[in-house]
Amino acid sequence: MPGNLESSAPLETEDEKSRLPAIVPALPPGAPSDLALMRAIQAEEPEALSQLYDRYSGILKALVLRVIHNEAEADDLLQEIFMEIWNQAKNFSSHKGKPLGWMVTLARRRAIDGLRKKQAYTRAEERLQSESEQQPDAWVHNATEVEIALGDTRVLIRQVIDSLPPAQQQAIELAFFRGMSQREIAANTNTPLGTVKTRLELGLKKIYDGLKELRHEL
Amino acid sequence: MSFEEFQNRSRLYVIGALEPEEIEEYEGARKSFGQKAEDFIRECYTLHEAFALSLRPAKSSAALKNRLMAMVREKKQR
Repeated sequence: MPGNLESSAPLETEDEKSRLPAIVPALPPGAPSDLALMRAIQAEEPEALSQLYDRYSGILKALVLRVIHNEAEADDLLQEIFMEIWNQAKNFSSHKGKPLGWMVTLARRRAIDGLRKKQAYTRAEERLQSESEQQPDAWVHNATEVEIALGDTRVLIRQVIDSLPPAQQQAIELAFFRGMSQREIAANTNTPLGTVKTRLELGLKKIYDGLKELRHEL
Repeated sequence: MSFEEFQNRSRLYVIGALEPEEIEEYEGARKSFGQKAEDFIRECYTLHEAFALSLRPAKSSAALKNRLMAMVREKKQR
């Protein structure tokens, strides 16, 4: 199967590679690229979705859990997300970005929609407190080769994020993982709206610039 | 709006943190900066990848995968 995927789906051009900051770690030798898998999914090859699931379900579930803080709901959403990847694959274009970016955008939107539907902000806050204490060990499982590479990436990205002042980290956390607007963040943190805007702009710029540096390390 | 300010707004835009009253001005600048703006916005989506990759992967269920693949194969056969 991997051979089929590689041969049937051309890799990205050098031009595409050079324009986008590549922060996704290298895959094991012989593994089909994410783009090859996406193109195979567009050709309705279920095995490609299976491989994409093995590669990124852990990351996408972690993202969903970070938003909704409920294991069972996260599993339900994860299933919906991968079905949407299958159903909407035709809308993916490599000219607009990387497959992982597309999947993360889709997963985040689903998760935040789920959170809003349940109007569970308050409950999630309470769960966040207890689950964040369990997270380091409870969610660990046997790592695959891809996940080990992802682990290295995670450490480097965390270093970039952790270098931000706590107030900037908090503003970005609330915006990205809770889907809060600037006004909601201001109200939630008792901070002037202008200050929230500044924190978001400065924090995101630092992360963006840090990611550009990471391109040379990964 | 300068391009630097457009870049700042773009990073807010991709994470959905632009306020409604900022959207119109932003979209106007986006149009006037043209392809340069589109290229920059596309690069900003790397932030999404980064935030996801900053998380420790969660354990995903084999049963869930089996269910998913059964649904996909059934849909393909229709």
